[in-house]
Amino acid sequence: MLNGFCHTVIGASHITSGTVCQDSSVFRAYDNYGIAVVADGHGSKKHFRSDKGSEMAVTAALDTVEEFYRDPDAFEESFLNNPENLIKKIEKNIISRWNRLVIHHYTHNPYTEKEKEPFTEKEFKRLKVETVYGTTLIVAVMGRKFTFGTQIGDGSLVLICEDAAAEMPIAYEESAPANLTASMCNSQAINYFNSFYTLDEKPIAVFVSTDGLYTSFKSDEDFLDYHSILASQLINIDAFSPSIRKNLSKRSHCGTQDDTSLACVFDKDYIPEKQEELKEQVEVNKIHASMRKAEQKARMEKQRLKNSMNNARYDEESEL
Amino acid sequence: MSKDMNNDAELKTANNIEEDFGNMLDFDDDDPLSATSVSKKSLVIFFLIDTSGSMKGTKMGELNTVMEELIPEIRRVGEADTDVKVAVLTFSNSVMWMYSEPVSIEDFEWTRLRADGVTSMGEAFRELSIRMSRNSFLSSPSLSFAPVIFLMTDGYPSDDYKAGLEALQKNSWYKFGLKAALGIGKEANDDMLAEFTGTKDTVVHAYSGGQLAQMIKIIAVTSSQIGSKSMTLSDDTNHELSSQDVYAAKQKMLGQQIQDLVKSQDYSDTVPFDTGW
Repeated sequence: MLNGFCHTVIGASHITSGTVCQDSSVFRAYDNYGIAVVADGHGSKKHFRSDKGSEMAVTAALDTVEEFYRDPDAFEESFLNNPENLIKKIEKNIISRWNRLVIHHYTHNPYTEKEKEPFTEKEFKRLKVETVYGTTLIVAVMGRKFTFGTQIGDGSLVLICEDAAAEMPIAYEESAPANLTASMCNSQAINYFNSFYTLDEKPIAVFVSTDGLYTSFKSDEDFLDYHSILASQLINIDAFSPSIRKNLSKRSHCGTQDDTSLACVFDKDYIPEKQEELKEQVEVNKIHASMRKAEQKARMEKQRLKNSMNNARYDEESEL
Repeated sequence: MSKDMNNDAELKTANNIEEDFGNMLDFDDDDPLSATSVSKKSLVIFFLIDTSGSMKGTKMGELNTVMEELIPEIRRVGEADTDVKVAVLTFSNSVMWMYSEPVSIEDFEWTRLRADGVTSMGEAFRELSIRMSRNSFLSSPSLSFAPVIFLMTDGYPSDDYKAGLEALQKNSWYKFGLKAALGIGKEANDDMLAEFTGTKDTVVHAYSGGQLAQMIKIIAVTSSQIGSKSMTLSDDTNHELSSQDVYAAKQKMLGQQIQDLVKSQDYSDTVPFDTGW
């Protein structure tokens, strides 16, 4: 039986400025699959309805996957035959649904004078409707025979593998540094999706999160260790859920001040069997973290010593 | 409003969320997440320093002194809510990093540099391009700001700097980074430095030891202040700016502030490098 959770907390900077949360998240569990989705509306001047855009993106993802699963046996067979092709079809369908939702919303909610105010007439004319609703999207689906995920724009997908190790199966997009990100509103959005799937392995859990979470960590290792802790608590998820929400708020306030969303899907029946391994993984991570810290300290000490020797030599040479 | 769509009825207001913030400060020993640390936003400042033979003597001596004095000043910039990291790349016959990775300003200690050899600036540009990557020096998730890149040189490159600059210009971090350059002495070529920064506004010149000290401080402190400034919200529209807008606004602000500060300096009692001081 599949289970999961989703949380979205508003960014500290949005609270200060009185602006709305641009993130959306959702989790659903059905008989044949579970799905976790997050989206992060861009929020900048020209994306002034991206809070709605992110809601529509998660809705589009939910509805698309639901439609593909209408005949679960047929879908699973097709997926197993050609996973890449099926994921691409799902991505195309999500884009098309999102665009339909955007047009529908825009048609029933024409731009207000207040929304037009920040733009010149020329600027406003150039603005495409989908741009106004621009958002990222990350989707994770855990099925009976496979698990897959797809992503457009920044944010993270973390897989808790069969051996309890945490990994990010979707590579970071190097062409999008420091707040630059691909979007559902790009005209060639289909080319910006990245995906993964597993057929042979049965992951313990999959987490998806918007970039507000990732950017509150110092290193990838710390980020993955955090997910290992989360995974070790899934056995009591109802009791643990308030702690997750509290921690996300803390991360937003003390870190990047961005909106933060985290959603997860896991097999409730598989967790007890893996609980010992999950707990062990947390302990192993603690040891590795201590080692990293000690190595870093040793490197700095070595460098300090080298600096002192160099500076002493420099002073001697200067005196000569 | 927060939007967990699993709880459609739960549309939280900013006030509810402020209450959440109050609650989250309660420390709970039993909460396994309470031990996980939260990283501040971080910014990397790259110093590219010419250590060729022509820098020997006063120029290098002055530079070493200023850089030692500068560290506490940059430390103060980062005190509030940004972890400022520093990476120093020197170039002469070859290129060399002072530290093997960017170092937090709290831990950074200046290693006095010596001058010798030719000016391999193109190689320095190529090396910087390789290191400014998520797989290398910019791997920290908390890296929230585009880097500050500060070039200091006293002469013309002895290698094919254009090829190196071309490689660097393809790097997205460089494109969105804040770039400034300081020409030391009369041999430094402002046009070439403007090719690096993309604008003449962030290119300045020092003709004496006093000027060099003032210019380095002006550029380093101003660029780190502007570089670590959160510009996610525009005052007039209350919407976040795009990365392109942020970059353009910051580079323009840096140019204006540097030019204003340079004009306000008094250099009357300084002796030019090129008169043998």
